[in-house]
Formats: sequence, C-alpha cells, structure tokens
Amino acid sequence: MIRAEGVEKWYPNGFHALRGASLTVNRGEVVVIMGPSGSGKSTFIRTFNALEDFQKGSITVDGLALSNDVRQIDAIRREVGMVFQQFNLFPHLSVLENLTLAPVLVRKRPRAEVELQAMALLERVGIAEQAEKFPGQLSGGQQQRVAIARALCMEPRILLFDEPTSSLDPEMVREVLDVIQALAAEAITMVVVTHEVRFARQVAHRVVLMDEGVVVEQADPESFFTAPRHERTQRFLEQIL
Amino acid sequence: MGTPSFPAKRLPVAALLPLKRLRAQLAPTVADGLLSLGLLALIAWAAVQLGGWAIGRADWAVLQLNSMLLLVGRYPLAEQWRLWLLGALLAAQAGLSWGLLRAWPRADRREQGQLWPRHDRIAAVLITLLALLLPAALGLAGALQGRWWLLAAVLLALRWAAGRWGPGLHRRTLKLLGLLWPLLYLLGFWLIGGGLGLAAVAPGEWGGLLLTLVMASFAMALSFPLGVLLALGRRSNLPLLRWGSVAYIEFIRGAPLITLLFIGQNILGFLLPASISPDRVWRAAWVLTLFAAAYLAEAVRSGLAAVPRGQLEAARSLGLNQAQALVTVVIPQALRVALPTMVGQFIALVQDTTLLSLIGLLDLLGMARGIMANPEFLGHSSELYLVLAVLYWSCCAALGLGSRALERRLDPRSLAGRP
Repeated sequence: MIRAEGVEKWYPNGFHALRGASLTVNRGEVVVIMGPSGSGKSTFIRTFNALEDFQKGSITVDGLALSNDVRQIDAIRREVGMVFQQFNLFPHLSVLENLTLAPVLVRKRPRAEVELQAMALLERVGIAEQAEKFPGQLSGGQQQRVAIARALCMEPRILLFDEPTSSLDPEMVREVLDVIQALAAEAITMVVVTHEVRFARQVAHRVVLMDEGVVVEQADPESFFTAPRHERTQRFLEQIL
Repeated sequence: MGTPSFPAKRLPVAALLPLKRLRAQLAPTVADGLLSLGLLALIAWAAVQLGGWAIGRADWAVLQLNSMLLLVGRYPLAEQWRLWLLGALLAAQAGLSWGLLRAWPRADRREQGQLWPRHDRIAAVLITLLALLLPAALGLAGALQGRWWLLAAVLLALRWAAGRWGPGLHRRTLKLLGLLWPLLYLLGFWLIGGGLGLAAVAPGEWGGLLLTLVMASFAMALSFPLGVLLALGRRSNLPLLRWGSVAYIEFIRGAPLITLLFIGQNILGFLLPASISPDRVWRAAWVLTLFAAAYLAEAVRSGLAAVPRGQLEAARSLGLNQAQALVTVVIPQALRVALPTMVGQFIALVQDTTLLSLIGLLDLLGMARGIMANPEFLGHSSELYLVLAVLYWSCCAALGLGSRALERRLDPRSLAGRP
C-alpha cells in the first residue's frame, strides 16, 4: 500500500530531517511509529500525502509514485486521510459541514447522500448529537473524533495519524484511542505516530522505531516491547516504560 | 480622574433605580462626579451655542434652494424620477436586509432574533422623525416632502415585513435574496446612466451626493476582489506574481491619492487615444479603485496571516486543490479577521472621494464649493459645511454599524486557534 525507500529530506533551513528512511506498509496493516521527539516520524508520514516534499528516495502510495505532478498528488490525497495533532477542524463550518465539504467538493457526490453518510459516521464516533455545533464548542476529544470522522467521510484507503492524542487532556485520550482501535478492527490500512505504548501493544500489527531520520527497528509489538534487538530501541523503551 | 475601580463590590448598575443608576454611572466618586459635571456643562454650552446659531443666525435658505443640487448635481430634471425610483428600491432593499438580519438566529446568542429590539425601535422612530420633520423644516416643496415620506415608509414597511415573515423563509430563498444587492447595483447603474431604452445621462452630469456614492460604491465593490487577489499574490510561491504584487502595493501606498488622481486625469488622457480613453469620471473611479485595492490587500494579508497553517494542510489532505482550499477554508476565516480593518479602509475611501473636487469633479464637496462661490449665497458656508459633515458622517456611520452587525453574526468562537 505504501512503499517508501531511502527518503531524504532537508528543510529549507538546512536541517537534515530524514536520512534515508524506508518503510513498507501492507494492505490492511496497522503500523505504529514511535521514537523520540525530533526523530523525523511526523515529517516521515507527512511525506506520504505530500504535505512535506523530499529530495531523495522514492515513495509509492497505492500504486501511484509521488512526484511533483499536482494532479498525481491530489489523486493520492483523495485516497489518503490524515488526522492531525491539532485536530485542524474548520472553525467556521459546523461539524456536519466539516465532514461533507470534501466529499461534495472533491468527489462531486450529492449533498443529501453525503449528509446521511456523515451522520452515520458521527454516530459511530459517538457525537451525532453535536452535528450542528461548531468545532469551538466541543472538547478536545470530541474535536479529534470529528476529525477522524471527517477523514473517513472521504472513504480513504489509507489513514495517517500524526500524534492524534498528544494535545489532548489525559482523560480524553482513551475515547480517541477507542475510536482508532475500532477502525483497526475493520482492516483499514493505518499508520499511527504515537507515544501510547498500551495502544501500540493492543492495536499495532507492527511497531517501528525511528531515530535521527531513519527507521531503526521494526517488529511485531510483542518482540518490539519485550525483546528489542537494537540498542537504540532498548534505550528508548527504558525512557518511556 | 478616578482610579479605575472594579465594580465588583458595588451592586450591578442595572439593578438600581433610574436616578441612583445615573448617579452610580456618572458619579461613583467625588472626583468622577466633578469630571462628569464639567463635561455635562461643556456639552450643554456647546449644544446651546449650536442650537442658537442653527435657529437664530443660520440661514437655511441656501439648503432649501440647493437641496437637489447637493443630492444629484446637474442631473437633468426630466430624468430625476429615475433617481427617486432607485432611492425607493434602495430603501426597500435596505429595509428587507435589516429585517432579515434581525430575524436571523445569531451564533453569539442563544435566543432567536427579536422582531423589534430596543435599538431598532429607536432607529425606526428616528427615521420617522427625520422623514417627517427635516424636509418640512427645510421648507421643501410639498411634492418633494411627500417623496421623502414615501422612502421612509417603504423602508420601515419592508423592515417590518421581513422581520415578521423572514424566519419562515427557506434557506435557499434567503441566499437568493442575498443576490438582490448586486442585481440592484447593476440596475442602479442603468437607472443612473441610462441606455437600453432610457435616455442616456453622461457621467459629467452626475454630481453631489449621487456622484460621491457612485464613486465610493464602485471603488468598494471592485477593490474588494482586487485586494483579495493582490493579497494572495503577495503570499504566492511564484516569484513573479509575488514581486509584482509587492511592487504594486508599495508603489500605490507610497503615493498620495491626489497625485494618482492627477496622473489618471492627465497622463492617461495623453496615452490613450480619445476614442477609447474613458470619461473623466470613470478615470477617477478606476484610480480610486486601484488605490483602495492596495490598502485592502494589506488588510486581507493580515487576515491570511492569522489563519493557522494547519487549516490549509487539513483542506489539502482531504483532497481539495489549492483554489478550493483557499476559497472554502482559508479566505472565509481571513476575511473574518480582516473585516474591521477593511471597513476602516472603506470609510477612508468615502472620505477620499472629497479629493475628486480638486480635480474638478462635482462630488458632494465640489458641489457645495460651487454653491458657496455663488454670490447669492455668500457667507453661508457654515450651514453647508455642517450639512456636509452630517452627510459624510451618516455614510461612514452606516458602514460602521453594518460591519459591527456582521462581525457579531460571524461567530467569534469560530476563529481558528481560539477554542
């Protein structure tokens, strides 16, 4: 589904954020990326839908190679949903409009049909009764669940999560993780950058450690957390466990 | 000056009896009381002076004789019915919008809109009084008085009707009603300028308040999209577009409007052959538009800068292309932020139209100066200037009121980054 090989990225200020990161994600797989801050994990998944460009290496998403071709990029973005750390809901639109905007505008689907689907999705993430409210009136956890529903409303083949619970109050982390976990059970391909160890253990098919712009180690959760091979991983786990 | 006291320890002012409430507001401490008394005395003195002058020494005949000249300049008498018709249509549209605005539920308040909130009652009474008393006080002819009453009646009647039945209208109908403004605008140009079956009235014959409003509204309507495009150009990734926008904005902002107006009048006249060179009035209108666009662009740019980057990223990650993301996500939020600054620019634009009198156009100020130069009305400039001040103030106050009403209706919580 996603194949990234030897990806290198320099920021305009010269910072070498990715130094040859490679990762393959299979259809229906849930991959959790962990790593210390500044290790390039957010930058890495943001290259998957071209929110960040890169200078070397190659990325193929759902059979399409990422290039500078804008049409190609828009085509990939339609199939790849993203959930951000800061939610990034559209504050001037109601919750329902946040969900329906892209399907109506991009997929040219009839509004009435999209609204039905959107209400079903809001039902699923447990906030159907807030559909007419504006994002500013919701709690952080509710906003993030709306953001997930918004991404799902485009019916993406792949979902990217960029630290979805990092800016949430602790008591709201669970409600968001539960929603993501329920999605994982439906065999949607997902890449999740997170610090939640318990979530990674329960949900991930594969856990990846990134450090200094490269993928250091990847393994199934059991061996990743109990028998890490790499010394870098051991040090990281000592710090967070 | 009293110390900035926090009213927490006192009773809330609204809970007091009227007289006590007045005391609590004007004289919470001895020092505040003295200050209030002093200011009241000053205001009373000024009011007495002005009133004495207005009733006693002022000679309002100058207005009585020139009211149509001030309003429409040398617009042909036989065609002035078109302007009255336009006035009636504008009054109807204003009443309609006012009523719908009131009846519409507000994002910043829980309850539905009221039919006649207190401010509206005051405004309605003021409009009625003005329409009944002012034309009569100026001693206008009976037919003219009647027309003013009719305008006021149309405005208030539609205000009432829209407030009464507006909430029951379908959302789509309301959107269509919003289209009435641009339609009426085009219709207005047809009624004013003629053509298509109506006798043509050349722009050179427009004058007074009519010319001022035509120029100001033309410049506002066109400088707004231009300003948005310039602001986007200034933030563009394409260097040519970016530097072009920057150069344009900085050049215009660095030059006084009056010099640009002279450039427009003289140099354009030399550069373009007479056959395609626009009329003097239109040349000035375009200069005003291009001038205002540069200032608006800066206001919009500040609004664009206030929209977090994540908004564009979220829109793009949903598959919206750059144009769709800008139009549906970024620009609406940017304009909400920029609205107060933009209205400030529009108000400045209304006042900038007075410069047109310096290039020989007979706008409101130019017309008034023409009247003052007439030996018949020598020595009556105070009366005219006072009326001018009131007219310009009314235009600007209307803009200010409209913008604040709009601001309140665009939910303040809906600003990104401010949950």
